[in-house]
Amino acid sequence: MQALLSFDKAPPFAAPARFFLTAPLFLLAAALVLLASGPELLESRWSPALVAVTHLVTVGFMLMVMCGALIQILPVVAGANLAEPLGTARWLHAGLTGGALALAAALASGEQRFLAGAAGLLGAVVAGFLWAAGRPLFAVASTSPTIRGLKIALAGLAVATAAGCLIAVAVALGWPLPHALPDLVDLHAGWALGAWGGVLLAAMAYVVVPMFQLTPGYPARPGWLFPPLVLGLAVLWAVGAGFQMPFWVRVAQGATALAGIAFAALTLRLQSRRRRARADATLRCWQVALVATLLALLMLLASAVHPALGEHPRWAVLGGVLLIVGGYVSFITGMLYKIVPFLAWLHLQNCGAGVSSASRILADRPMLAQTRVHALAVFLLAAACLWPEWLARPAGFVLASASAWMFANLAGAMRRYRELAAAGGGR
Amino acid sequence: MTTIRAFMTDDHRHCDDLFADAEQAAGKGQLDVARAEFGHFRQAVLAHFAAEESTLFPAFEARTGMAMGPTRVMRMEHEQIRALLADAVDALAAADSEEFLGIAETLLIMMQQHNMKEENILYPMCDEHLADVAGEVLARLEVDTAEP
Repeated sequence: MQALLSFDKAPPFAAPARFFLTAPLFLLAAALVLLASGPELLESRWSPALVAVTHLVTVGFMLMVMCGALIQILPVVAGANLAEPLGTARWLHAGLTGGALALAAALASGEQRFLAGAAGLLGAVVAGFLWAAGRPLFAVASTSPTIRGLKIALAGLAVATAAGCLIAVAVALGWPLPHALPDLVDLHAGWALGAWGGVLLAAMAYVVVPMFQLTPGYPARPGWLFPPLVLGLAVLWAVGAGFQMPFWVRVAQGATALAGIAFAALTLRLQSRRRRARADATLRCWQVALVATLLALLMLLASAVHPALGEHPRWAVLGGVLLIVGGYVSFITGMLYKIVPFLAWLHLQNCGAGVSSASRILADRPMLAQTRVHALAVFLLAAACLWPEWLARPAGFVLASASAWMFANLAGAMRRYRELAAAGGGR
Repeated sequence: MTTIRAFMTDDHRHCDDLFADAEQAAGKGQLDVARAEFGHFRQAVLAHFAAEESTLFPAFEARTGMAMGPTRVMRMEHEQIRALLADAVDALAAADSEEFLGIAETLLIMMQQHNMKEENILYPMCDEHLADVAGEVLARLEVDTAEP
């Protein structure tokens, strides 16, 4: 127990930083594919290129940052120390980078042997991460909704990854699938974006929203309930799909949407009662994310009630854009803008090369400016789902600009950190 | 009876309230108000640190024999927070509200991640190890953190 408050056990900056710098490049790659492909990319969620681009964002950006941040944050929020944070960060970062690139290339090219290999690689990397992070985490008692949420999220990641690998290997090797491919893909996406991403997001929000914005805390009972509820609904979804009971699949989808809507609406309400002097980039990112998430979940609810809506090929593409780029990418960007300058400042302090504040390493102004461009990209992307001929390429261009700018902001902070560390202080 | 964790966590929230008042005043450009409010906040934080360093940590260290463990790290973080408090006071004295708001942002994150470790890890350990003397420790903490 005593080791968990020790600086000696705190991960070095290099452990999480590599994930945070790589992630925007994957988003940039996705945007460049959209810019190059144009309107046909957004025509159907089943086009190989769109499936590939989706995984550039979900694995290359989202999973990349989530894993890197967990290495950093598990000791602080849960008292769970990874045995070898830097060693874990090295193989995990290499594995996720290689796996995400290979998976996207395999999905886009249709090379089936390659697809099985890429999925196998990513599956092994995620399994390694689950072992490295899960072992210390599950050894800690669930004394807060956040710790319980983190455990449930890891279970969600395990199932989402297993489902993704099963689909990829079955498609690649021509194995007969037990159910229709679209149902299995929906299930994979539901576990990945709900039981893993949604629960992880909520577990972290319970801590960071009150902490960074000085809002009232999340109410305790719903806070404890949300993670197991979302997990239970994901199980119901799986059982419904497994036993060919579409009604129960729709109930699970609708209830998941309602739970997410309640969470997002509550978070917006809490943020409206914040006591910070200024609206910073993190707050703006989260506001974009919460509104986009609300819209995406309203679409999920609507298609659960009226399944005919979901049959339109653009429906799922729009919902995915809103949830993944509008929601998760914005949430994560907001977190990066809080974590990266502070960690750089803290590590400089600990090596005796301090500056007066983290804003000397990365100021709020460029972060806010990038956030505005990102918000425009989300708006254009959503509109491009409706008018792809007109807007697909402009949306790709603006998203590429926003991603490159995010990378420039974060890389600038790292460069400043290295300069200050080398100079021995910047006061 | 209240626990050490509950009592000290409440004092953290009290400090948060004072921080918010000071930062909001600075954000509105009311520097005189900000100086007064920040002085109030600083006093409360320093009293909280003093209570920990003179009452709670020594009791914990004596009972567990962990002088180089979690309390050492908390003391080091107190020093970092004290340095930020001093920088913030300097920025307010120089009427540099941009510099003050930058320091306040870093101070808030530093303080919150520090509080999180205390509230989730150290205070529960204190409650566990000091259960038989909790009443006495709490009475001293109340005196240490009381407003003058």
